[in-house]
Parts: sequence; C-alpha cells; structure tokens
Amino acid sequence: MTDFEDKLLEILSKVLLLEKNAISDDLRRKDFEAWDSMAHLIIVSEIENEFEIFFEDEEVIDLWTVGDIKKVLSTKLSP
Amino acid sequence: MTSQNQNIEAILQSVRENQTYLNIWSAYKKIQGLELPVSKEKDSLNLAVIGSTTLEPLAACIDIKTRLDGFHVHTFVGGFNTWRQEALDLKSPLYKTETDVIVLSVDALSVLDQMFLANFVRTSEKERSTLEKELVNSVASVIEILEKNTTAIILVNNFIVPVFSPLGIVDNKQKIGLKQFFDNANIDLTERFTKSNRVFIVALDAVSSDFGKSRITNWNTWYRGSVPFSEEFTPILADEYLRYIRALKGRSKKCIVLDLDNTLWGGIIGEDGIEGIKLSNTSPGIEYVDFQRGLLSLYNRGVILAVCSKNNYDDAAKVFQEHPYQVLKEEHFAAMMINWQNKVANIAELAKEINIGIDSMVFFDDNPVERAQVSQAYPEIMVVDLPKNPRLYRKTLENLNVFDVLSLTKEDMERGEMYTGKRKREALERSAESIEDFLRTLDLQVKVQPVNDFDAPRVVQLIGKTNQFNLTTRRYTDAEVRQFREDKDAIVYSMAVSDKFGDEGVVGVAIAKIKEKEWWIDSFLMSCRVIGRSAETALLARIVKDARAAKAKRIFGEYIPTKKNPPAADLFERHGFDMTKEDGDNGTTWVLDLETSTVEVPDWIELQEE
Repeated sequence: MTDFEDKLLEILSKVLLLEKNAISDDLRRKDFEAWDSMAHLIIVSEIENEFEIFFEDEEVIDLWTVGDIKKVLSTKLSP
Repeated sequence: MTSQNQNIEAILQSVRENQTYLNIWSAYKKIQGLELPVSKEKDSLNLAVIGSTTLEPLAACIDIKTRLDGFHVHTFVGGFNTWRQEALDLKSPLYKTETDVIVLSVDALSVLDQMFLANFVRTSEKERSTLEKELVNSVASVIEILEKNTTAIILVNNFIVPVFSPLGIVDNKQKIGLKQFFDNANIDLTERFTKSNRVFIVALDAVSSDFGKSRITNWNTWYRGSVPFSEEFTPILADEYLRYIRALKGRSKKCIVLDLDNTLWGGIIGEDGIEGIKLSNTSPGIEYVDFQRGLLSLYNRGVILAVCSKNNYDDAAKVFQEHPYQVLKEEHFAAMMINWQNKVANIAELAKEINIGIDSMVFFDDNPVERAQVSQAYPEIMVVDLPKNPRLYRKTLENLNVFDVLSLTKEDMERGEMYTGKRKREALERSAESIEDFLRTLDLQVKVQPVNDFDAPRVVQLIGKTNQFNLTTRRYTDAEVRQFREDKDAIVYSMAVSDKFGDEGVVGVAIAKIKEKEWWIDSFLMSCRVIGRSAETALLARIVKDARAAKAKRIFGEYIPTKKNPPAADLFERHGFDMTKEDGDNGTTWVLDLETSTVEVPDWIELQEE
C-alpha cells in the first residue's frame, strides 16, 4: 500500500467508522448510510488539508466511491 | 463500570492520545451511534447547540471535550439556520429533555441583509444605527425566549468584528464605521444580559483575534457546507465553551501551589542569597515580578495561593519580608510548606491545611522531575507544563483558564483575607487547652435565614462547587434554586459565619422540603473553610426549630457518599439522628424524632435568625 493510500484510509476509516481493511474501492456513498453529506464534507476537507490540494465542487459531487477518491487523488498528486 | 461505559472509554482513548479534529469527530459519531439514553445523573450534561450555520462540528468538539472531563453528554444539534423556530416551537427537541447548556451561535450576516456589507458605505448613520439595533434585538429576543422556557445556562457568542472594511483606513473617521457597527452591537448585546445569571455572552471576537481572524474559517467548507469555523479553530473555540461548563459543574480549580526557586524568582535563594536572586523591575528579574503580579490578580478575585518549596524556611521568609521587589507577601498565601520533605507529601499537607481537594489544585514548578512525581502521585492535580523560559510564565498562567466561576461574589473577592484569618485562628487553636476553649474564644456568630435575593447567587455558587462537606451533592441551577424559593413546601437556608478574625460571608446552604408532618433535608452543605467550628450544628438546629414550629413530627436526612464527602459522613449520627435505611453506594437515610430529640445550638455560637 502506498503512503497516500494509507493516509486516505485513515481518514475514511475515522469518518465512516469502518476498519481500514473493511474499506474496499467499490464502497459506494449512496449505499452506505454513514457516508452522508456531512461525512462527505469532512472527508473532502480532511483530504484537502492532509494532501494540501483543492477540489472543485463538480469533483466533490463526482466522488461516488472510494475508488473515485483514489483516482482523483493520484491524478492530483502526480507531478 | 458497565460495558457501555467501557465502550465510551475506549472510544475516548484515541482522542486522549491525539486531540485532532478528525479524532474528535470520529469519536463523536461513534458515541452518537451507541444511542445512549438521556441520563439525569449528576455527572450528566444535556447540551443543545443551535444557530445560523452548520454547527455539528462545533457541537462534536464541545461534546467530546466535556466527555473527556468525565461527563455523560447528550447533545442536540439544531438544523441549519433554524434557531428561531427551535426556540419558538415549544415542541422542538430543544425542550424535550431538560437542557443544561444551550449554545447559540448566530452569524451576524445571516440576520442582516445579504447585501449589508456591499451597501454599507452608502447607508446613512441613522440607517446603520437602526440596523445595529435590529441585529441585537433579533438575537436578544430569542435569548429571552430560551431563558423563559428552560432552566439552562445560555451561551451566546458575540459578533466577530471584521478586519476588512470597504472604508479602509478611515473606517473609524465615521461615527459608525463598519468596525464600530459591530463593536456597538457587541456592547449592546452584552449590556442587555449583564444582570442575567443564566445568559453569558461568549467572547467569540476575542477568541478569534487571539487565534488569528484570518484562520478561523476554512473557506472551502464555508462555501460548500456553511461550516463557520475551521478544523484548527473549532476545538479551540470549544475550549472557551468548556470554561462555562466546568464552572457550572463545579470543576473549576481553586488553588495555585507554587514552587519558589526559579518559579517565583530566578535563582536559588539558599545559594544566591537575597541580593543574588533575580527579582527586579528591570530585566533580568522583571519577568518574575510580572508573573507574581499575574498571580496577585487571580488572588484578588478569590484564587487561593500556596507555597510548596524545598528550602530553609528562614531563607525563603526573608525574601517575602525584605526583598524590595517581592510582590506576593506571606499574607497572600493560605498555607506554606517550605521544608525538605518531598513535594508529594507536602501537597497532601497543603490540601489538608487549606481544606480543599487535590483535584482543585494547580501546581507550578520549574523542575520537571518534581512535576512528574507530583503528577504520578496525584493524577487528579493539574500540573502545569511550565516552559523553560521564565518570560513565558505569566502568559502560561493566563492561558490556563481553569479558575472560572459563573458569578463573582463578595466572598470571592475577600477569600484571601479569610485565609489570613484562618491562619491566625489556627495559631490560637494550637495554644488553646481544648477545642471548646478555642471555639469559645472565637466569638462565633452564625446567621441563618431563608436566602434573600442578595445572597442567592452565592448560594447557587456554593451548591455548584462544594464537594467535601456536602451531604447529597445535588447540583441545582439558578433557576432550580429560584423554584425552591418560590415553593411554599420548601425552604432554602443560607448561613453566614463570622468570628473575631473576620467575616466569612455566606458559607452554608440547606434546602428543606416539607411533606406534611415530615421535613426532608434535601441538601446540606458548607464551605470547607468553616469546617471544625460546629457551624453545621447551628444550621441544623435552626432547621429543627423551624420544623418544630411548623408542628412537624420527624426530620429526615440523607447522606449520599462521593469520593470527596467523607467529612460530612457522620453529620446526622453526631446530632442524634437514627439510621433508617442503608442502600449501599446510594447512601443512608437518617431520621430525628422531634417528639423525643432535638438539636441545640452550641453555647459558643451566637445564632442570629431572621
């Protein structure tokens, strides 16, 4: 696991109240009750603070699964 | 401990280790998920957070920080900008449980027109004045509704005075510039509630300035979700609210225990001598003088000072008596332990001599080894992590914010002098032949009366913070005490004590509930300062006399044990009550049959009644 993946899982695990190993890439916002709009807001801002990046509103809306977050994050973090 | 409590403790552990916003939020959501029932135990707290923005993160921080202090918290968070409806609708969740603390956080711009800032420059002085009044009125009217319909303390943040003004550097050349507009609103809001015992205007503007106004908001979360405060600032703002909760729940600290060498002055008196220590009105040494001035400012409003130092007593005393720049004198200290014993033992002695709990103490010592030892022996004492640089001592003291009370009474202001009286009294006690002889020479005067308006705040304060001589430790709010006073089947007594060494003011409270021919002593408590002068007998005698006059047959009393109230354990037994019920941890019930027994005022007390 890459360092950024671990940091991301740390955030997701704390906000979604899941063990890290229970968080799969296809975990979907719509299907998981704890991932409500407030949780989403906090996940996004924690990622922004942790990785010193910034999400556009459209990007925030399009983060539907854990896989989506990883994909956007790796694009934003690649030099 | 129940398994539920263990669950909570395990969740809180991660926050204890690292108090980040994310950890606090995570703990909050986990505990919310446990769906704990609302509790009315004395260590429970019902919190409501309402306002104009997304306040769940602030509520989470207050909730978890209150839990870290050992309370069971039930938190209600209002909807987005629905604070008026929540206050007005008596069926709203706000009123479902008996709320202890309401936090009302209103953003000024949510009340003012959204174009307020844009158009400010073009508004007339008269319009500005009207808008300012409307802003204050709209918040104040909701506060008044909350005050009327609850018994809670209501914490209302003031408005943040903006740093930017479109008027630029000439903002304050106008009669009501933009900053003046908000300053005026803050003054008006504060003045509206100066007299209220339950409404407190929280200095959000000052806390924001201290933190840095440019950093209090994360603009991403503000525009995305109307979250008013940033991840860094929210926990710090929560700490400000915690000051009120601690004061309400009797968790404030009462006493500062001070080391001497390199704490009150620079250098070591035993080696450097009175001319050699650093203590001066210029540097080096001015930082110690300034620290002492800070301590004196707290002493003057009722914080108790004590010394715990490894030194020869005479060396140290010489500084207090002769050093020209020494600010604190011997008379400012309620007790001094200056000897070569270890500090752990000395602190226990101090607690005994001053008659307060070790958990009410704050320990200042420059030596990290001493600090570690004290901290290990007494996890409940607050050990200050004193910086190496003495120039930061005063700031460290000022940043503690642990000595708060919800109202300052005459007794607070004069506490220092009372301890001077106490020391003289103890000198006399040591020279007296017997305890009765000693008490007879004191000229004790005890005044017991149904509490009047003037003493009511002090009575509420005593109910909130008295731990040791407190039979039932029932904490009643200002509103609850008022209800007792208005109830014809209840009497709230206040007791004031004075002797030839000084006036202690109101130091005792009893609440009697009348159930036809039976009187119940619901609460009986006395400041530890007057323990050992049998003032409690006088208070009990007065209740007995009143009960008899009302043709009561029996008086019941309860003792509910806590960690701290063993000094009160034998009160009823000592005064001829019989035990009627023993209920394990829930305590004992006692009865005095008025047809066969009574309680007399001791002959060394002059009881004054009204």
